[in-house]
Amino acid sequence: MTTTGVRIEGVGYEYPTGVLALSDLDLSIPTGSSVAVVGPSGCGKSTLLQLLAGLRAPTSGHIDWPAFPPGVHPMTVVFQTDTLLPWLTAEENVGLYFKVGRAGRRVGRAAARARVDALLKMVGLQDFARAYPYQLSGGMRRRIAFLTAVAPQPAVLLLDEPFSSLDEPTRVTIHQDVLRIMSELDMTVVLVTHDLAEAITLCDDVVILTARPGRVLNRHRVPFDRTGRNAIELRHSREFLDLYALLWEELGSQIFTTSPDQQGSTSHVR
Amino acid sequence: MFGSGRRSRRLWITLAQLALVAAFLAAWQWLPTIPWLAEKSHVFDSFFVSSPSKIVARLRDLFFGPPGVTPIWTYIWNTMSASTLGLVIGLTLGGVLGLILGSSAVLSDIFRPFLVALNAIPRIALIPIVVVLFGPTSLGSITVSVMVTFFVAFFNAYEGARSVAPPLIQNAQVLGAGRAAIMRYVRLPYVIAWTVAALPLAATFSVISVVTGELLIGAPGLGLLLGNATSTADATLTFSLVVILSALGVVTVLIADQISKRVLHWWAK
Repeated sequence: MTTTGVRIEGVGYEYPTGVLALSDLDLSIPTGSSVAVVGPSGCGKSTLLQLLAGLRAPTSGHIDWPAFPPGVHPMTVVFQTDTLLPWLTAEENVGLYFKVGRAGRRVGRAAARARVDALLKMVGLQDFARAYPYQLSGGMRRRIAFLTAVAPQPAVLLLDEPFSSLDEPTRVTIHQDVLRIMSELDMTVVLVTHDLAEAITLCDDVVILTARPGRVLNRHRVPFDRTGRNAIELRHSREFLDLYALLWEELGSQIFTTSPDQQGSTSHVR
Repeated sequence: MFGSGRRSRRLWITLAQLALVAAFLAAWQWLPTIPWLAEKSHVFDSFFVSSPSKIVARLRDLFFGPPGVTPIWTYIWNTMSASTLGLVIGLTLGGVLGLILGSSAVLSDIFRPFLVALNAIPRIALIPIVVVLFGPTSLGSITVSVMVTFFVAFFNAYEGARSVAPPLIQNAQVLGAGRAAIMRYVRLPYVIAWTVAALPLAATFSVISVVTGELLIGAPGLGLLLGNATSTADATLTFSLVVILSALGVVTVLIADQISKRVLHWWAK
């Protein structure tokens, strides 16, 4: 794998309805780094993630991916909505990769089992391995969805507002689990979020997008080492609060440049 | 305390229900013995409405009757085997077609209007065609059941396949699933779930349609016996068969409900 990582160059995306979600967006995501993308509602953050996931193709510009070594799963996504399959248990959901794809099936059954068990243990859900999704709380379900995406040990993990449906205390607890797994598995992470605290907590860089059509307004380095980061203690630090205030200031400038007309017609641009 | 209150309420409800049944049976037994009432209306004439005691006696004869008479079990077997077979075939065909059309927007656009139109045809209108095609045979009864249960299963399976949320499919895609794996691991379980959820309703429809078919096409089964009873104005046999059919209907729904609950144990409570 090269150290250059993923390079997004001059990317634009226009919906079939004629709405321009992204325009001339440049962004580099170094291998092994974690980058948060924040921006006003409807600026095309989730569209950008869908382009990275290959679920949509850019209408202009291009995305360059590094060459991944054979056997490395290129990318997975944690979606905003619930993606657990309700007829599978928690452990079966986490191990979905080992069933559905050729690459996943090549991992032996014992190795797959060991990986699933280890992941469940990392987030303290080993006792809920055989539980069905309906038997789990919202926070547990989100953890399982996260583990499902992490189980293939992808080169790049895309997170699309993965914890936005959770209450603040649960979210912060999950952040700690996510930080631990991210540092252990050494993945490149792209996080799309509305939550500035989440962006600072989980990532090395925070990128602010402009109002629609989204392009990069600014990029900030998070002044903390990701290894050993404590999601709760972090929030009391001066640097955290300063960066939070700065990000809000820049984000606010974009929120208030979005016209009421744009705000009312963003439902199809996520 | 709260629990004992609930138990006594339940006991009272059961007692009230038993009292209602007893009152109804007593009225049925004794009212037609009043000549004045029988003259007023056929509803109170035991020739037309029989009586509970006669029905119990006839039921005993039907199940444990004199030798030489075809036992009721043969008719029950004919009806229930045709119902079960028709149900299985109808659910399978409907489920598979629902899965295919629900998974393909193009195929759905082409075929769905025809299926909606076919579903709008009263199935009873097609029974003469079934008679011509298969004659008064069990195959005819099974065909009638398939015609009914197929649509119940199809529309449920179709909605099941279409109701799969796009992120579920996208999630499987990014985990490396191809079209076949998405079909097998995501769409198919949804379709099976929706089809099985329709099982209690489809099972009831299957019994009703088979009995109707037997009644109209003269295929062997309880429906044929019911037709004979009606044509010979044998009210006791007619009501006895109604009792048997009701019991079979209840048993069918209970079994279908149990299967549905077991298969869909993972469904959110």
